[in-house]
Amino acid sequence: MDEKIIEVSDVTMRFRMNNDKILSLKEFVTTALTGRLAYQEFTALEHISFNVRKGETLGLIGRNGAGKSTLLKIISGILKPTEGSVFCRGNVVPMLELGAGFDMDLNGRENIFLNGAILGYDEAFLMEKYQEIVDFSELGQFIETPIRNYSSGMLARLAFSIAAVVDPEILIVDEILAVGDSAFQEKSKSRMLELMGGGTTVLFVSHSIEQIREMCNRVLWLEHGKAKMLGEAEEVCSCYGV
Amino acid sequence: MHGMLCRTALFILVIYMILALLFYFLADEQLHFRSSQGNFGFPPADSGITELTADIIVEQRFTNKIQRLEEVSVQWGDSYHPNAGTVTLSLYDLESGELILEETFDASVIGEGGITTMKPSAPVEGFYQKPLLLRLVSDGQLGSSVTPWMRTESAGLEEVLRDSEINMGDLTVNGEWYPGILCFQALGTDYIWYGLHYWQIVAAGFFLLLLGMVVVGLRYRRGRRSYFINAIIAIEKYRFLIRQLVSRDFKTKYKRSILGVFWSFLNPLLTMCVQYFVFSTIFKNDVSNFAVYLLIGVVMFNFFSEACGMALTSILGNSSLITKVYMPKYIYPLTRVISSLINLAISLIPLMIVCLATGVHFQKSAVLSLYFLFCLVVFCLGLGLLLSTSMVFFRDTQFLWSVLTMMWMYATPIFYPETILPDKFRFVLEINPLYHFLKSTRLCILDGISPEPVVYIQCLLIALGMLLVGALVFRRHQDRFLLYL
Repeated sequence: MDEKIIEVSDVTMRFRMNNDKILSLKEFVTTALTGRLAYQEFTALEHISFNVRKGETLGLIGRNGAGKSTLLKIISGILKPTEGSVFCRGNVVPMLELGAGFDMDLNGRENIFLNGAILGYDEAFLMEKYQEIVDFSELGQFIETPIRNYSSGMLARLAFSIAAVVDPEILIVDEILAVGDSAFQEKSKSRMLELMGGGTTVLFVSHSIEQIREMCNRVLWLEHGKAKMLGEAEEVCSCYGV
Repeated sequence: MHGMLCRTALFILVIYMILALLFYFLADEQLHFRSSQGNFGFPPADSGITELTADIIVEQRFTNKIQRLEEVSVQWGDSYHPNAGTVTLSLYDLESGELILEETFDASVIGEGGITTMKPSAPVEGFYQKPLLLRLVSDGQLGSSVTPWMRTESAGLEEVLRDSEINMGDLTVNGEWYPGILCFQALGTDYIWYGLHYWQIVAAGFFLLLLGMVVVGLRYRRGRRSYFINAIIAIEKYRFLIRQLVSRDFKTKYKRSILGVFWSFLNPLLTMCVQYFVFSTIFKNDVSNFAVYLLIGVVMFNFFSEACGMALTSILGNSSLITKVYMPKYIYPLTRVISSLINLAISLIPLMIVCLATGVHFQKSAVLSLYFLFCLVVFCLGLGLLLSTSMVFFRDTQFLWSVLTMMWMYATPIFYPETILPDKFRFVLEINPLYHFLKSTRLCILDGISPEPVVYIQCLLIALGMLLVGALVFRRHQDRFLLYL
């Protein structure tokens, strides 16, 4: 259990922000000509280093804009850090926000395969797990209905089921447990705990200190892009609460 | 992993051999011979030599620059009087005195401007770069004999003789020098170098391929990755994803329409009908089988504009995914192009139907048109990568592109014959890659012959060049996409 599955070493992320985002050629030329193409540097993350061991659940806390989502994006490979490096052993599955990988015109079944493919699973695996996903989502016969007719709760259930029923090596959960009715929330939480018990490494972002306290082993507290505190969940949470 | 790489390598080699064999049989004559560069057409006549009676011998010397001589013709005049008797044309090799060709024609059927042609049953070879003598004799009487035409020494003659090895003074009448050139024509074909050495070239390619694979394989064993290996791994890994995304594109495209997938082949058909009506009744043209000519253009251009237009918005349109899930970003433009490719494949069905309905005789060369469609697809992929990159940084791209597509449409001979373009605008066609793909496809389907081998290389280079540019630009900028979405 001591194997390092995620190694984040000295990651710094800087964005070059134009005062206004320049999105047209004309704007670009005119601002460049007038010499006002000034960039403002914004440091989203500064010298962040930590390791996550296999099977561990790491919570990320911090205020809005502290850099939690940026860090998750860097870990899942969506963003390249300006400096430093991230090394992950195993596939990283982000639990998508509502409907991000869904196509509204397709039905539930087609979306399971589409979304599964986007998350990096292969066909045989999805075929095998298909029934499990449907059962978990409790969608029943609605699985053949185009998902544009789904309620937001049904969508969220489908999304969670796809990401959670299969066994990812690294699961990234960005504020998603608050979906569905309370019964489904209960169910997803227990599934999450089950996954953690089964050796899945989870990166968990939440504003609910209660949830963090309950589910995480360790917690990283980010503030203004810097690691303010990294330690046992109980310890960090009590400091954060103050 | 290892087994898969070996399988892939074997697969590539087998495909290569099959393609090489297939090409050999499909390209047929065009692989070996091309219309000779030494062909000599009739110089425009401006005078007759003299009436060819029994006591007159007209002789024209020339150096043959045709490797396979297929026909020799002479043009005659008769001042509109009735003719009798016969004329005999004979062609000699001046060095050995050997008679190469001889044929006698009935003079009574030769009218003013009439042409007599000697055509050997098989092309004559072995007289390349040799001085030849064309002799004209007759058994006619004065007043009822035909007169061979000639071109006298006057302005413009240099132009006619520029590329030939015919000099003033090579025309004699009864052995005496005569100031002019006989109005004759010599046509044939030349061997193509790579046609002669086709199998050697194929074998060389095979060994190069094999060598490349061995090198890549050895590097892989030592733990080094190369682009080739990475590409194979990526294809293997993302095959299912690409298939899902393509099927998504396809399913949603016609999801709520009644005719559904039928639109894929109704669309080009209807476009063709409208343009056919406009361009065959209002603006007339002399293209034979205009319907097919037009439809090939419409199908190919539709694919081009659809693939590029869809690829253009592929990154931007999937921004919600790109910001949340990691996958190689080139997947998005790639799937859009593949979706369009499926549309293209479907629209080949109406093309086939129209071809059959208008009585196009499919030759085996029609299969070769697939090669040029392949080049078009690769080209579109390259351009699509470029456009999608540009679109992320400058949203103006889509508006510029719609104007550019329109210009491109008019700069490509889709609904007009390329001959109507004045010479000073020819360069527009020459620099237009679509024109090259289109022209070759039409040649394969409509004329039933394959283009020269060099055209294949040209088209492939254009397509790969575009792909390379697109891929490099895309790769350079892809890490910054996220900041601009």
